[in-house]
Amino acid sequence: MDPTTVMAVLCSVVVFAGWLLLPHSATSVEPVVVSEERQPVPVSA
Amino acid sequence: MKIDSGDTAWVLASAALVMLMTPALGFFYGGLVRRKNVLSTIMHSFFILCLISVQWVLWGYSLAFGPDKGHIIGGLEWIGLNGVGFAPNPDYAPTIPHQAFMVFQMMFAVITPALISGAFAERQRFKAFVLFSLLWATFVYDPIAHWVWGAGGWLHQLGALDFAGGTVVHISSGVSALVAALVLGRRLGFGKQKVEPHDATMTVLGAALLWFGWFGFNAGSALGAGALATSAFVVTNTATAMAALTWMTVSWWHKKQPSVIGAAAGAVAGLVAITPASGFVNVMGAIVIGFGAGVVCYLAIQLRERIKVDDALDVWAVHGIGGTWGALATGLFATVAINSAAANGLFYGNPRQALVQLVAIGAAWSWSILGTFVILKVVNLFVPLRVHEDEEVIGLDLSQHGEPAYASIHAN
Repeated sequence: MDPTTVMAVLCSVVVFAGWLLLPHSATSVEPVVVSEERQPVPVSA
Repeated sequence: MKIDSGDTAWVLASAALVMLMTPALGFFYGGLVRRKNVLSTIMHSFFILCLISVQWVLWGYSLAFGPDKGHIIGGLEWIGLNGVGFAPNPDYAPTIPHQAFMVFQMMFAVITPALISGAFAERQRFKAFVLFSLLWATFVYDPIAHWVWGAGGWLHQLGALDFAGGTVVHISSGVSALVAALVLGRRLGFGKQKVEPHDATMTVLGAALLWFGWFGFNAGSALGAGALATSAFVVTNTATAMAALTWMTVSWWHKKQPSVIGAAAGAVAGLVAITPASGFVNVMGAIVIGFGAGVVCYLAIQLRERIKVDDALDVWAVHGIGGTWGALATGLFATVAINSAAANGLFYGNPRQALVQLVAIGAAWSWSILGTFVILKVVNLFVPLRVHEDEEVIGLDLSQHGEPAYASIHAN
């Protein structure tokens, strides 16, 4: 394999294999109170 | 010379694809700003589409591609498209009408100053923006385009490779964006209050449309409908996907979650980086270039945040650094197996090409820094670059354009 192909394979391995090892933390989100709602608009046919 | 109908159709279609990129950029940027500034941000891109379309036919094309003057600039012989007709020009594109080449290049000239607008989003006065864009296109973009792409341009003669604009479009705009951010200063409350994108869906849609249009940008730069265009299309898609995957992985590792906006930004970084290389590298080279773009552009954003420069939408990190990486990578991974009219890069036995690319990168950085700084200072003599503080607080949509983007919600 030429150097470019070797580098491409290594880059792909880093990215694909990395996902197995990556930690994941869910973010806790407080409910948002909506203070400004659009008013209903009458629509005629 | 005989006009090839297939080549002409592809270049005209590509021009239309590249045209779409500028409003797409407006949506990409528009989603990233606060809702009080979304219209002004989209207006930057839309207005430039109109402004540079006229500048280009009047004098821009002649300066960039007209008969060479001292290897620095094109002459004024083609002003108002005088002499730019339907017969092919053998110096640029021997199988399509000269005007087809001209209008394809016009779309590049349009999007380049639009890219800069992300740096001064949410605080630049509209009139100053108009003057700056016109002067920048004339005194920064047109000369660099001539150096690299013009017949007789000094970087062209030196052998610099830039298939679709890594140096001409992305380094010039990205570096100029950094200068603009430094000259204009930070937005009110920068670093004290959190500025979050008002509509991430708009940003992802904009990125997707940019990706679509970029096929015209890169594959269209083959200036013909054949094998080279096909190769450019394939490597463009590959590098873009790889950069998005890489950026998402890096941000996942860094921030513990895979960012959606990060994936979109990563895709754009990949598009930027493959641009100069797209007609010279094979698909393995594209994977390395995409990977590198995802890493270096992400790191550039961390650096920009650390030194507290308010390049609002990270134009320098994505376009300046991404373009620099792409231009350098062209000198590493280019191969005549893809484009026999070009040259091999370092990894194919030609270290000189990497040095030539460094010269081109240095020239584009230097002229962009100098030109942008001087233009901003000159514009500031006539029109203040920034809006007043109270105008910035209420937002540019209302203060500059008198229109809210969303009917019932004005605040923030």
